[in-house]
Amino acid sequence: MTVKEKIEKHLLEVQKPSRYIGGEVGSITKDKSKIDVRFAFCFPDTYDIGMSHLGMKILYSLTNERSNYWCERCFAPGVDFEEIMRKNDIPLYALESLDPIRDFDFIGFTMQYELSYTNVLNMLDLAGIPIFAKDRTPELTQIVVAGGPCVCNPEPLADFFDLFILGEGEEVNLELMDLYNDMKKQGADRLEFLEKAAQIEGIYVPQFYHYFYKEDGTIDHIEVSNNAPEKIRKRIIRDLDKVYYPDNFVVPFTEIVHDRVSVEVLRGCIRGCRFCQAGFIYRPFREKTPDTICRETRSLCENTGYDEVSLASLSTSDHSGIEPMLDQLLDYTEDEKISLSLPSLRVDNFSESLLEKIKRVRKTGLTFAAEGGTQRLRDVINKNVSEEEIMNTCSIAFKGGYSNVKLYFMMGLPTETDEDIIGIAELAQRVVDLFYNTEDRPKGRGVQVSVSCATFVPKPFTPFQFEPQDTRQEIERKQKLLLDSVKTKKIKVSYHDPDVSMLEVILAKGDRRLCSSIYTAWKKGCKFDSWGEHFHFPLWLEAFAECGIDPAFYANRRFEYDEILPWDHLDYLVTKEFLIRENKTGRKAVTTPNCRQRCSGCGVNKAVGRDCF
Amino acid sequence: MIRLRAVFEKKDRARYISHLDLNRCMLRIFRRSGLPIWYTEGFHPHPYYSFALALSLGYESSCEIMDFNLNENLPFDEVRDRLNNVMPDGMRILSVSEQKLKITAIAKAEYSFLLETDDADGLYSAIQELLSLPEILIEKKTKKGLKTVNIKPDMEILSCERSNKGIEMSMRLPAGTQTNYNPSLFFEALKKHTSLPFYESQIRRTAILCENNEKFS
Repeated sequence: MTVKEKIEKHLLEVQKPSRYIGGEVGSITKDKSKIDVRFAFCFPDTYDIGMSHLGMKILYSLTNERSNYWCERCFAPGVDFEEIMRKNDIPLYALESLDPIRDFDFIGFTMQYELSYTNVLNMLDLAGIPIFAKDRTPELTQIVVAGGPCVCNPEPLADFFDLFILGEGEEVNLELMDLYNDMKKQGADRLEFLEKAAQIEGIYVPQFYHYFYKEDGTIDHIEVSNNAPEKIRKRIIRDLDKVYYPDNFVVPFTEIVHDRVSVEVLRGCIRGCRFCQAGFIYRPFREKTPDTICRETRSLCENTGYDEVSLASLSTSDHSGIEPMLDQLLDYTEDEKISLSLPSLRVDNFSESLLEKIKRVRKTGLTFAAEGGTQRLRDVINKNVSEEEIMNTCSIAFKGGYSNVKLYFMMGLPTETDEDIIGIAELAQRVVDLFYNTEDRPKGRGVQVSVSCATFVPKPFTPFQFEPQDTRQEIERKQKLLLDSVKTKKIKVSYHDPDVSMLEVILAKGDRRLCSSIYTAWKKGCKFDSWGEHFHFPLWLEAFAECGIDPAFYANRRFEYDEILPWDHLDYLVTKEFLIRENKTGRKAVTTPNCRQRCSGCGVNKAVGRDCF
Repeated sequence: MIRLRAVFEKKDRARYISHLDLNRCMLRIFRRSGLPIWYTEGFHPHPYYSFALALSLGYESSCEIMDFNLNENLPFDEVRDRLNNVMPDGMRILSVSEQKLKITAIAKAEYSFLLETDDADGLYSAIQELLSLPEILIEKKTKKGLKTVNIKPDMEILSCERSNKGIEMSMRLPAGTQTNYNPSLFFEALKKHTSLPFYESQIRRTAILCENNEKFS
C-alpha cells in the first residue's frame, strides 16, 4: 500500500483532514525523476500554525523556482493523527508528493520558538530518521538542518542537527543545495559534505565545535576542528528591494492562523528595545519601496484569491514612506474589496492621518505595546514611548470611535520594583479615565482596557542576555500584586504561565548540555509544549534532574560580562561590547536614541561595510 | 445581474474539503478567475453564491450544484473555463447554465459506494437479509435530538453486486430541505445487523433529482 492509500483509510477519523493530504491551490508538484535535490521544509508545529509562517512561503517558492530542486512542506501531525500514523506504520511524509521525508536529501526545520524543540525530535522519530546526528548514515543523504531566529543560540539542539543556517536564507539555502548537488554527483560522503558546507558563510556545523567547561559550570573554551571557522557570521540580503519574493502562496482549504496575503515591507528595526531579540538579530534595517510593496501585494492577491492583506514587519510605521505607501495600497485594495491590516504600529508615531487611513480599512481593536508600567522602567528597556504619547494615541483612538484598547506589558524586567507593577494598573486606570474625559468618545459604550502581561524572558543577542529571570515565586507575587492593584472591571488582566516562561529562558540561553534533557523530556512524552493542554512542566523537571541539569543555572543566574556565552562564536553582526554597553546604560535608566536619530554603534554598519542610513 | 448555475465534481483529494471550507475555497476561486462576480449590497459586501446540497466530508460527487450571480452576460463555456483554470486538484466545473428550477425542487439524490470486505458472499447475504426486513430503524441526529426513523420506505436500492473487492452498491435517497438522508444511515444499519467487518469507500453522489426522478437543473 502506498502512503496515500494508507492515509486515506484513516483520514476521516481525524480533525481537519485536509491538513494531511496536500493538493492545495498553489502547491507545487514536480516529476521526481527529473529532480536532483529534494528538500522537506518542516515546521515543528501543526499545519494551521506552520502554514501561517511567511519564511516558509518565501523559501518554498524560491527553491521551487529551480527546476531540478523540489521543496515540499511537512508539519507536525495533530495528536489524533500521530496515533494513527504510529499504529499503521505511516512514516512522516511531505504534502506534495506524499513521499516519506526520510528519503529526502534535506530535512529542514524552521525554529521559531523554543517550545517547539520537542516537536522536532518527535517529527524525526515519526519520519524514521535517527534523532541524533551522530547516528545517521555516513552516506550523503538525509541532511537535517535548521534555520530561523532560535538558531542564534542553537546549542540546546546541537546534537540533533547536521548543520544550522544563520540569518536570512534566500541566498545561502541555494548555495548549500548547489554544493550538495555537486558533491553528490562526485560521490562524496556526509562528512566531506559537512566540512565543505562549514566553509560557506552562515553555515554552522556544530559537530566541529567542542565545548570545555569550568568547574562552576560556565564555559572554559571551545575548540574547533575540521578546518571550520572560529566565528560563523549570519547571512543578510543586501538589497531587500530586489530580493526574491513569491508571487503566489499555497492557499489552504482549512482555516489557518494567518489566513491572508502577507507582504513584507521592511526587515530589521531601528528601535533597539533592550529585551527584543528580533530588534537585534534582524539588523540592519532595510526597506522595500512602496512600488515594490504594491506590486507584490497585487500579484499575490490576484494569484491566491485572498481578499485580505497584512503588512509584515517588526514596526510598519517605521517605514520611511508609510503614508504614501498606504495611499497607493488602499487605492488598489479598496477597488478590489480587499481588506488591509496593519499589525505592528508604534504608539509614538501614530498620527491622526494614519488612523484615518486605518479606518478606511476596517475597524478592529487597537493594541499598544507599552511594555513597562512606569517611565523609569520604560527607559530601562529603551522603549522610547512616553505616557503622553500613549495617552495621546488612545485619545485619538477614542475620538476615532474605538472603545477597546489592548495594552501589552512585561513583568520581571531588570531593575523592576513593586512601584513598576502598580504602575501598570495605574496607567490602565488613566486610560479608562481618559475615555470618560474624551468629549467626542463613542456614545452608549463602556471602555474596555485589556492588560496583557508577559513574563520577561532574557534572550541571546539582546542587551538583556546577561540578565536572570525572576523566580516563579517572585513572578507569582507580582502577578497577584497587579491583580490587587486593579480597581475596576473595565480593566481586564491576563498573564502567562511562569513555568512556560522559565522553560523558554532555559532553552533560549542553554548550552549543549541541554540536548540530553530535551531528549529525555521528549522520551517522557513532552511535545507541543507551547500548547497549554500538552505542557507538562513536572516532566521537564524530572528530565533536568535525571540529566544533572540545574534549571536555575540557566534561568535565574546572572551571566557575567566576561563569561564565554554558548552563542559567543556566532556573529549576528551586533558586537558583544555594544550589548554590554547597552546593558549598563539600561540599568542606569538611560535611553538610547533610535538608529535614524543617531547611530548607537552596534557594529552592524562596520560588518556590512556601509552606513544603515 | 445574471443568475447562473454550475454543476461541478469534487473528487480525489478534494473530497477532504469540508462544506465550510468549500465556501471559503469558492470565494477565492471566483477572485482568482477575475469573473465579474456580483457582490451583495449590504454593509459588508461579499460575493453571492450558494450550494444546493451540502456534501458529507469524504464523499465524492459528480453532480454538485452551485448558484451564483455575475454582473455581465458572458458565454456559459467561457465562465466554465475561467473557473476551471483556477480550480484546485479534484474539483472541476462540468457545466454552467441558467437556473431552470428552484432549489426547493430537489427531492432525491443517488449515491454509489463500495463496501470493502474479505467475505463478499457473507456480506451480500447480510445485505439481502437486512433489505428484506419489514422496517430498518435507525437513530438519526436531528436539531431536536436523537430520533428513531424507519429508512426502509425512502431507500431505493438501484444496484447491489459482488466484486473482487467487496460489494458495489448504488441507492437513491431523499434529499433537500424536507428529508435528507445519506448513505451513512445505511452503513450504520448494516453494521448493527451484521458482525461481518466491512469498510465503506468510494462513496460518491452521482445524481441530484426532482420528485419525478428527473435530473435537477
